[in-house]
Amino acid sequence: MKNSVIISGAVEGVLDEGVLRRLIRDLGAEVRAVYGKNGKPFLLNKLDAYNHAAHYSPWIVIIDLDHDAECAPPFVRSRLPDPAPNMNFRVAVREIEAWLLADRERFARFLSVSLSRVPRNPEALDSPKGTIVELARHSRRREIREGMVPRPGSGLKIGPSYTSLLLEFVKDTERGWRPTIAAQSSDSLNRCIRRLAEVVNA
Amino acid sequence: MAKVKSKMLRFTHVKLENWRNFAQVDVDLQRRIFLIGPNASGKSNFLDVFRFLQDIVSVGGGFPEAVRRRGGVSALRCLAARRHSDVMIHVFIGNDENPRRWQYELRFNQDNLRRPIVKREWVAKDGSVILDRPDHNDEADPKRLTQTYLEQVYANQRFREVADFFLSIRYLHIVPQLVRDPDRSVGRKQDPYGGDFLEQMAGTQERTRKSRFKRIVPALRVAVPQLKELELWRDERGTPHLRGKYEHWRPQGAWQTEDQFSDGTLRLLGLLWSALDGTGPLLLEEPELSLHPEVVRLIPQMFARIQQHSGRQILISTHSSDLLRDEGIGLDEALLLQPGPEGTSVSPANSFTEIKALLESGLSLAEAAMPMTRPRDAEQLVLFSG
Repeated sequence: MKNSVIISGAVEGVLDEGVLRRLIRDLGAEVRAVYGKNGKPFLLNKLDAYNHAAHYSPWIVIIDLDHDAECAPPFVRSRLPDPAPNMNFRVAVREIEAWLLADRERFARFLSVSLSRVPRNPEALDSPKGTIVELARHSRRREIREGMVPRPGSGLKIGPSYTSLLLEFVKDTERGWRPTIAAQSSDSLNRCIRRLAEVVNA
Repeated sequence: MAKVKSKMLRFTHVKLENWRNFAQVDVDLQRRIFLIGPNASGKSNFLDVFRFLQDIVSVGGGFPEAVRRRGGVSALRCLAARRHSDVMIHVFIGNDENPRRWQYELRFNQDNLRRPIVKREWVAKDGSVILDRPDHNDEADPKRLTQTYLEQVYANQRFREVADFFLSIRYLHIVPQLVRDPDRSVGRKQDPYGGDFLEQMAGTQERTRKSRFKRIVPALRVAVPQLKELELWRDERGTPHLRGKYEHWRPQGAWQTEDQFSDGTLRLLGLLWSALDGTGPLLLEEPELSLHPEVVRLIPQMFARIQQHSGRQILISTHSSDLLRDEGIGLDEALLLQPGPEGTSVSPANSFTEIKALLESGLSLAEAAMPMTRPRDAEQLVLFSG
């Protein structure tokens, strides 16, 4: 049996970690460890260190574009002008949530909302997180409404179990997220999977 | 289920006067509460308010006993209080629809013989007073004031729901050593430190226990990936033991008993069991102990999910930045304890404009709130040389 490729990663948070692990596993590779998970500024701060480590083994960093730039390429150039040969620096447009929304059919079913409510072009969304919370408001499932929509008075933009519910969707290979289907509607996800596949099959 | 959950009673507000290190407290309580503060700021003393109410109504408890267990009125009274001030607890109980369904107030002090004496016991339902002591009976027979009506089945009939609610409170602070070596806490019933944890498990109906284990094992696997199943058995002396089956190179796998379980495994197991055990408020002390930070991070999400099913209130004390890094913790769910010369103050994180501003700019609650609860002279520790 061929030894599988082992990849290290760094991401912004717990949900991003779930997405990364799923993508790597689906390609038949293994995850060594996932770093960061302490927000975007922290991740950007440590980028040089991750890049240094990527001289020795394959690395992937996934970061949200948010509104830092109009599109991904100039953002990548400004943040990591000199990437190591094994560094795969990926940008999610505009947030990693867009990658989940991109599997419209499954996402609508998971949230228990009608398919027509889920937008067709997730990369054009101003705030995918906000879109998901709005969708969740219309969910037929109480668990989704109470878990994902922020409680009045909480001062938050998301509900108490927003992260774990989305993680459940990401991890469910049977009825949940299908990265390859989602990649058809999200160019940044498509590029991410293609590049990862190149690393794995190299 | 939806109906049950929204109607589940919880503490919605608490007021305290001169209770341990709190001179004055007046704060809302959400369904999930995180208490954060420096060491010795009173996190446990805050939780103890609810344990005290439970002690009053529990079998073998009662008001005099609940005070005695805490070393008497003078030990309970806040050091910042004037010498003879009353100690006062006032709780609001309700649900989301009606947060002020019940109010219960107990004000007490001690007599010349240092016996605890009720100064006022007051109950209101939906705003109308249904009990206000001392009344003329108490004036005729002052001895009656050594007991609360709350603890007496004959006297609490009109607010039995309150007594039952207090009785449903659970407190847990598992000490793994006590679970492994129950002889150290012989005969303690409902021991919050886990001395009779296995007995409690054994006392649960077999069907219920099995179904709980079934739900617990997948969650426990987060910390102990090789765990396959859990079961309870009794040795020849009748002492209950827990054992776990681990995936192993042998086809049958390997069994381990609780004395071989790690601290983290036992604590996480205790946490998961207590979350499923009961429906009343659950008080937890530092659930992060002995657990890997990456596991700790997920604890708030786990509680949020549990609450969606059971609706029960959970009050948690913590020192863990990892735990507070969770993005789903509301600003009204985090209570900051800040010690001062006039006792410790308790305020929700959303009453600090700084914390709100920092959170809006993308900081986590851990980053925004923890520095405000740092021990005053923490750096003194580096000067320690023995």
